[in-house]
Amino acid sequence: MSTATVATGAGHGLNVSLAICVRGMQRLRARPVLLIPTVVMPVFFVVSFTGAFSSLTRIEGYGTSNIFNWMAPYAALQGAVFAGVGGAMSAADDIENGFFDRLLLTPGSRLPILVGTIGYSAVRSFIPTTGVLLVAALGGLELPGGVPGLVSLYVATAGMAVVFCLMGLTVAYRLRSLRSMMIVQVIGFSSMFLSIGQVPIDFLDGWLHDAARLNPLTNVLRLSRQGFVGEMSWDLTWPGLVALLAMTVVGGLAALRALTRLAP
Amino acid sequence: MTVVIEASGLVRHFGDIVAVDGVDLSIDEGEVFGFLGPNGAGKSTVVRMLTTLLHPTSGSARVGGCDIRTQAGDIRRMIGVALQDAAIDPLMTGSELIRLQAVLHGIPRSVIRRRGPELLERVGLTAAVDRRVGTYSGGMRRRLDLALSLVHEPQILFLDEPTTGLDPTSRQALWAEVRRLNTDLGTTVFLTTQYLEEADQLAGRVAIIDEGRLVREGTPTELKATVGAPTLRVEVDQEHVATTRDVMTGFGEERPSREGRVAIGLSEGAAQVAAVVRALDTAGVTVIHLELDAPSLDDVFAHATGRRLEGSGDEQ
Ligand SMILES: Nc1ncnc2c1ncn2[C@@H]1O[C@H](COP(=O)(O)OP(=O)(O)OP(=O)(O)O)[C@@H](O)[C@H]1O
Ligand SMILES: [Mg+2]
Repeated sequence: MSTATVATGAGHGLNVSLAICVRGMQRLRARPVLLIPTVVMPVFFVVSFTGAFSSLTRIEGYGTSNIFNWMAPYAALQGAVFAGVGGAMSAADDIENGFFDRLLLTPGSRLPILVGTIGYSAVRSFIPTTGVLLVAALGGLELPGGVPGLVSLYVATAGMAVVFCLMGLTVAYRLRSLRSMMIVQVIGFSSMFLSIGQVPIDFLDGWLHDAARLNPLTNVLRLSRQGFVGEMSWDLTWPGLVALLAMTVVGGLAALRALTRLAP
Repeated sequence: MTVVIEASGLVRHFGDIVAVDGVDLSIDEGEVFGFLGPNGAGKSTVVRMLTTLLHPTSGSARVGGCDIRTQAGDIRRMIGVALQDAAIDPLMTGSELIRLQAVLHGIPRSVIRRRGPELLERVGLTAAVDRRVGTYSGGMRRRLDLALSLVHEPQILFLDEPTTGLDPTSRQALWAEVRRLNTDLGTTVFLTTQYLEEADQLAGRVAIIDEGRLVREGTPTELKATVGAPTLRVEVDQEHVATTRDVMTGFGEERPSREGRVAIGLSEGAAQVAAVVRALDTAGVTVIHLELDAPSLDDVFAHATGRRLEGSGDEQ
């Protein structure tokens, strides 16, 4: 009588995740203005920071003589924070307008809902990253690290979107409101500042230096930036990947806990 | 009969508010169960707990044999749910939503390609499938929500005030659909409503909830009988009055009536009318006019709570 038993197993979970990801894209297609903050902000960063900080490159030890090489990955990562929070925001929106109940009624585990939402954020981060690269290319962006350098930037931005999406989801599942996303946005923004976004770590003094050294985002910045300021190196790669992985695991557990507290 | 929905001592608090205060339920497979109550009685809260959307504060429940706390994922496989506020994304189109719902419930593409249009047809939305749901009217959203809840042919269907906001035609159509699902597919239906007529029309059994507690439970007939037996008045030719009285008093106590009429209280409820008519027919009596003055579920509600249900309380 019923085909309801079809909804089992990992294959189903993967399909659910994919469908949630696709739905996010359908929404963007239906209302492209949703993308504006994700693209405009980071592009604005590239333009303003490259202008404001361009003379810095003349200081010895800055690591590159082209300010675009330094700032583009930073702006792309900021864009990824927006993309991640944006993904969590659409979940908060769903919670507010009731659509989330439909997702919660999905048979089996609720993990695929989480995976689908972070997947959507990761895919969404490609848009600002690409936007930043295009604008920076007009300014004379170089890529000495070649394709692997480009890949590490995309991996870092996608990872960053995932991390901040999870953080946003944890807050959204607990506070169940769209406005609560502001908190996460501010955290993302400021933790990027307390890192090596604008200047190399040796330029930082006192607590700023310590904060940047301990900040896991410093490793992510190194990972994403290496291909633009020099040759690729494994020493700059693995700490970034480990930092992203660790933050994803911690954020994932927190978000999953918040989700199961929301409903059985 | 297998019990498919079973609750014992379900309680849900929201801060200081006690939304549900110890609800016990036992619903058999294949029943249409009506859950009747005024605004804020706790209907939706019970539905949300039974459909694994909300943790109970205390108490337990099983749906389809699975525990709502520990086997929530299995319950969701068996149930279809149309919530009071249709869970619908205004940016998506009707057909996008149907496809999404199918994936969520693991329905293969080939199946949904056939079933999707069929469902939309049945709820009268064929022409609107490719429009964004944001452009739908309230009634259209509810009907789409119903179609979505049926995508995976659930064994147990929860409908939270399914006809609120529907025009009379759509309401009739929805009733017909619920009956069809119940009789043709054997779907168990748990239906909340504020409309007595709806519960009366659809539900085999009704529970009345007020301020988080069940105040009455039974078949509509039984419930009405608790308020008093309905009165059946029959008008016949003068020559048949005596015979009519003889026949009818076999079904219940005689009640006062006008000249040329006979009235009785139907001790076993309105369902007896047919039997009375048949008996009169056999006795060769021609009935000129027949009138049944049945107590309504509203009388039952008033009897149980001291208040009237329809148009009562904090209705917007
Ligand atoms: N999320 C919530 N937070 C706080 N109070 C709630 C919440 N949900 C429900 N309530 C309260 O619980 C009580 C029961 O609400 P519920 O929605 O279950 O009633 P209902 O019978 O479905 O009413 P209606 O016919 O208006 O839909 C109400 O007093 C309501 O204010
Ligand atoms: Mg309700």
